[in-house]
Amino acid sequence: MSDFFAFTPADWQAIWLTLKLCFITTLLLMLLATPLAWWLARGGSWFHTVVQSLVALPLVLPPTVLGFYLLILLGPQGWIGQTLESMGLNHLAFSFNGIVVASLIYSLPFAVQPLQDAFGRLGHRPLEVAASLGASPMDRLLTVVFPLCRGGLVTAATLSFAHTMGEFGVILMLGGSIPGETRVLSVMIYDYAEALDFQNAHRLSLLMLVFSFLILVAVYGRQRRFSLFAQRNVNS
Amino acid sequence: MCQLRTLIGILLAQVFCFSFASAGDATVAAASSLRPTLDRLVEAFEQSHPGDHVILVYGSSGRLTTQILHGAPFDVFMAANTEFPEQIAESQPETSVPRLYAAGQLVMWSASRDAREIGWQGLLKPEVRRIAIAQPDVAPYGQRAREALIHYGIWDQVQDKLVYGESVSQTARMALSGAADVALLAASLANQEAMQQQPYMRVDATSHLPLNQSMVVTARGQSNPVAAAFSQFVMSSQAQSILSSAGFLSARQVGQQTPAELAE
Amino acid sequence: MSLNVSVNWQRDAFCLQLAQSFPSKGVTALYGPSGCGKTSLLRIVAGLERGAMSNVSFNGVDWQNESLCVPLEKRRIGLVFQEASLLPHLDVRANLEYGWRRTKPAQRRLAPEEIYRMLALESLLQHRTDQLSGGQRQRVALGRALMTSPDLLLLDEPLAALDAVAKRQILPYLARVVRDTETPTLLVTHSTDEVLRLADHIGFMENGSVAPVVRLAEALQDPSSPLFADEGAVSVLQGQFVIEGNGGWGMFSTTSYHLHVRSSPEYMSLHSGSTAFQNHRLQIYARDVSIALTDPTQISIQNHLAAKISGLTEKDDGLVLVRLTLADGQLLMAELTSASVSRLGLILGMPVWALVKSAALLQ
Repeated sequence: MSDFFAFTPADWQAIWLTLKLCFITTLLLMLLATPLAWWLARGGSWFHTVVQSLVALPLVLPPTVLGFYLLILLGPQGWIGQTLESMGLNHLAFSFNGIVVASLIYSLPFAVQPLQDAFGRLGHRPLEVAASLGASPMDRLLTVVFPLCRGGLVTAATLSFAHTMGEFGVILMLGGSIPGETRVLSVMIYDYAEALDFQNAHRLSLLMLVFSFLILVAVYGRQRRFSLFAQRNVNS
Repeated sequence: MCQLRTLIGILLAQVFCFSFASAGDATVAAASSLRPTLDRLVEAFEQSHPGDHVILVYGSSGRLTTQILHGAPFDVFMAANTEFPEQIAESQPETSVPRLYAAGQLVMWSASRDAREIGWQGLLKPEVRRIAIAQPDVAPYGQRAREALIHYGIWDQVQDKLVYGESVSQTARMALSGAADVALLAASLANQEAMQQQPYMRVDATSHLPLNQSMVVTARGQSNPVAAAFSQFVMSSQAQSILSSAGFLSARQVGQQTPAELAE
Repeated sequence: MSLNVSVNWQRDAFCLQLAQSFPSKGVTALYGPSGCGKTSLLRIVAGLERGAMSNVSFNGVDWQNESLCVPLEKRRIGLVFQEASLLPHLDVRANLEYGWRRTKPAQRRLAPEEIYRMLALESLLQHRTDQLSGGQRQRVALGRALMTSPDLLLLDEPLAALDAVAKRQILPYLARVVRDTETPTLLVTHSTDEVLRLADHIGFMENGSVAPVVRLAEALQDPSSPLFADEGAVSVLQGQFVIEGNGGWGMFSTTSYHLHVRSSPEYMSLHSGSTAFQNHRLQIYARDVSIALTDPTQISIQNHLAAKISGLTEKDDGLVLVRLTLADGQLLMAELTSASVSRLGLILGMPVWALVKSAALLQ
């Protein structure tokens, strides 16, 4: 049993890097996606439709294609890469920061859509009530919106986390599989498989699977309790 | 809320404290057909050059080239052909002149039986449902495989059966898993332990363009002494014999071919 | 000091256009059929319709004009909707305290205990919102709105979603609230009953415009008033009520006359413990009033009031609405056939006796 967990230092490095990527991406994504989803849920203009479609775009683009275009854009020849370099910063290709940016983009729809649904279902009334009772917009957000949309928030965070953990094509293209920098678990597993080292590939895959599964069980289990509670309140 | 802030702070600090390869390291990007031969080569290099460390990044030559052209932090690039390194040298003038380090050999292999008994005409038989080759656009072994199939006059007939691997080692995996009944891949891969279960069939080198493989020290790697040392090492007799025992033709062997053959 | 509203708003096919001053004391009812815009007007006063071109000012403070829109949380308004809209993730106590906590101590005019008592909320405090009946929820919603000690109370058809029983039960609470807290109130309704029980003033709305606001007594003088559409003409008398004995009977009296009336069980339970009440309303339907030229003695009807005829209006259906002025100046309507009117020879200014067969004590 302990033999199974005999990961190499390179493995541990990839594990740590992956966890870092997932947590940072999820955190930043929740900060980014929440106001965006709110704006999308509350409006119906043609502009809203355009933005909503743009947000969903990473769902339909093949990952390697997306990775390729990000490589061009964020690298030293791209518009963003060059702007960064002119400011004295590094371009974003082949760096951890770069794959964080990539993760934000391709996991964005997984965060925005559940949030948008939850906010949409909230309706105007609870907020009008809270405003009439003296709650400022931020107050309403924290004491009414978040508690009542807790399910959506949790789903958004969980899906973002899980999706980031599993992403491969974009990270390989943009990240370049640099150990300690962009060689995340999914790339590591791919590398082992490429080397026909299936034992290591299996080992890491199983770890990833078990970990993801446990997280999902924990999150959805907790959520089930809350959602039943909320369900009873809303229906009567 | 305070704890959350601290956590965010720590995470952000981590983000900005990344570590690239430290001094005494070189990052070598290599075609996946060099696996695992290059691992042994690097081991030998590090033994004879204590303190110097090589980080290996494998991939398809095409993808690696794209990445280098867009600023990838690779010091040395060992491709599976000569065109990709030339493309890089043209686009980034500080790149070293591409140097031929070996030539690959194409073989046919099957997980279920001796490939020599299948042969080219056997590919047309109904028992052979799937034939795997590397993607010709990004993998030189794929290009050569296509040339060979054209040479033997069966390219059109096998179109429906072809499946493409992103790299030649993905092609090998397809064959190993049995998903593809037969594959055309690198001899260096077919020599691996996992593939010993069946012997391979050598493909006649005249049926395709040579698989000359060259390498460059990238513009970025010019200032890296380990990169220079490594690229020198690859041309040493020790390295070259590792390459030839793995199924490559060493640079010298390539040099011994007649100019006419090379020009094909 | 009052609420000034002017609106010029076009949305889809609907146009809301008015300029009106609302009294700053007592209850003003906005009465009209569905679709006339009364809810929209209320929402504009609350600041919930930003798109409307409107000017709203309350007690001299501008709440909304071309360049300014004070957000709802800064207007000290209490809002009660048709569906209680309790916050489902909070229990009853937390719902009630939500506004209380967000009101500055200096502005807290009404004490929570007072409000709980007024609306009989003590027994509900520990409950979750999904455990309450419709009537209970509206009581909580009302209490919640009052906890902020609002300067203005806006009620949007607060009883419309309740069944008849729940409505009857909650009306006394509502009446008590508007009377005891002395908060100026705008009540949107299409129920004559609510108007008669609660309103001091009334503004009739139709198709996006509002008729000038008048006192209730004035509105009840109009024979063709929309208030009479359902149940016929009705009058409301204001006076004092004293309970006599245990049977629920009591005496309704003004400075000049009195009537024996019965109060409802809900009313009795609400006011258990007290015997004398001020400021009560008595509702008398015109069809329950007969006229005699002399004061009859051998007659079953108990309540005889001396009055003078101040108006005679012929209606379409062969009936005549007779307006009577009572000794203290309040008005009472009687509905007679025109045959009776000519037989008795009734003319303006004639002194007569009004016989009230049935009266309902409101509140």
